[in-house]
Amino acid sequence: MSLPMIRVVLGAIMIDFLQQFFASPVMQDALPPALFIAIVASSMSVMILAHRLSFLTVGISHASLAGLGLAIAFSLPLLPTATAFCVGIALLLAALPKQRGISEDTGTGLLFAGSMALGIVLISQVSRNQVDLFGLLFGNILTVTTQEWHWLLFIGCIILLAFITMARAWWSIAFDAITAAAGGLPVSLLRLLLYGTVGLSVVMCVKLAGIVLTTGLMVLPATCAWLWGRSLISLWLLSMSFAIIGTFIGLLFSYNYDWPSGATIVLTLCIMFIMSWGTAWLTQRNK
Amino acid sequence: MKSPVISLSHINFGPSHTPILDDVSLELEEGHFMGIVGPNGAGKSTILSMVTGRLQPDSGHIDLFGECLKRFNRYRLLKNIGYLHQLHDYAPNLPLKVRDIVAMGLHDYAKPLWQWFTSTSHQHADIIQALQYVEMDHLINRDFRQLSGGQQQRVRLARALVRKPKLLLLDEPAAALDSKQQQKLYALLRQLCDTQGVAIMMVEHDIAAITGHVDSVACLNRSIHHHAMKGEQIPEDVWHQMYGQHMHVIAHDTSCIGCHHD
Repeated sequence: MSLPMIRVVLGAIMIDFLQQFFASPVMQDALPPALFIAIVASSMSVMILAHRLSFLTVGISHASLAGLGLAIAFSLPLLPTATAFCVGIALLLAALPKQRGISEDTGTGLLFAGSMALGIVLISQVSRNQVDLFGLLFGNILTVTTQEWHWLLFIGCIILLAFITMARAWWSIAFDAITAAAGGLPVSLLRLLLYGTVGLSVVMCVKLAGIVLTTGLMVLPATCAWLWGRSLISLWLLSMSFAIIGTFIGLLFSYNYDWPSGATIVLTLCIMFIMSWGTAWLTQRNK
Repeated sequence: MKSPVISLSHINFGPSHTPILDDVSLELEEGHFMGIVGPNGAGKSTILSMVTGRLQPDSGHIDLFGECLKRFNRYRLLKNIGYLHQLHDYAPNLPLKVRDIVAMGLHDYAKPLWQWFTSTSHQHADIIQALQYVEMDHLINRDFRQLSGGQQQRVRLARALVRKPKLLLLDEPAAALDSKQQQKLYALLRQLCDTQGVAIMMVEHDIAAITGHVDSVACLNRSIHHHAMKGEQIPEDVWHQMYGQHMHVIAHDTSCIGCHHD
């Protein structure tokens, strides 16, 4: 076969595969929420990196287990309860370090272990088939219900609105909180709102990537962008592009090889980071 | 008579047996350039922090622009202040251009992103002017992290100037600057006082470097020991005593407020 022929055949296979991918009902249901979560998470990702909150996302995502445990134990609606619980924990962590000199990462570690333990105890009390533990831990975007999708849309829009309204204030606080405060910004309030918004976005990510992998989704997009962006806007746009591309490619692989979707997406983002880092290293070396 | 820009009266701060500030009273008029000197731990930076509302005095009263500084009016009053704090614990790894950092000093910087695309031309002119003051306008598009310490300090000063403040609070602004840049800085500050009526309160270690530029020098060690006006002779032998453990009255002036007379 000649080279053009191979190209045509490969192209046809590719198109065929993509058609299958888009036609599959599972992906039709999963792709919009996954991409939406990617956009929201990658936006907040910029602020998480700027404020060095990646450990906070670890803490909150694990705390969501306790929230889900409470919801299951008292048969409350799952996502709203988890949301309220996560935001509560995030706000508690924002308020905690100022009291009694507990450093922020100690506080996070404390609440993270405590709420995880509470979650395990609560969930162990209900029968196995009531809880999709694997889904909780590693994500289950493929089984998103219409109700859940509406809930995700609702909190996602709140997060994006908060981001667009306060991004520049948060950005200037990340650069120099003292000057920002002296210049007349309500820094403590803005920081509280930042933690709350991070809490909300963690809940969204838990649906896609699970408790264990959420941090990957919250940290990796902006980490990739950090090497290239030179301002808030360019960082934000780059971070979103990385997340959208990573999520899409991740879902393609997940669909083709039947890998768990959350893990595949995080893995894709990791590979993208390594490629991005390598390219940055090479271009800087050749300068 | 116009009310003073800053009026501190009988400020106390810290535990009563080892106070950080003990009955400090100071006034600063429009267009007045005041230097605050004193040994380490004298409470110089604490005074500036109080004026910016970051610390509340245990007792005493702070007036800014003729209004009592309170929680509710604090954010409005602070819009007229340019503040440059000391360096320490200051190493954020954010990708920012020089122009972005100066822009952070603008009043309307923290507005929502959708307003970002509108009305940027007058802001751009302000940013350029502020950078010209500190002779950094040629590096406007440079990444902040690539600048030297002294250059970074000048950019931060531009950020404090870009909002056209009525009051500048400067905590060792010359710390990272070479002597030529220091003199340029003091000359610039002098010019801002004279032409725009800016009031400046500046904390500095090196008294010798500032005496030629400031209107008055306040000597602080937990309390104001002396407030020397311009033209006053400060005896040679007092220079080294200044940074001793205890207070030393250098000279006396009738305008001296809160001064402890020995």
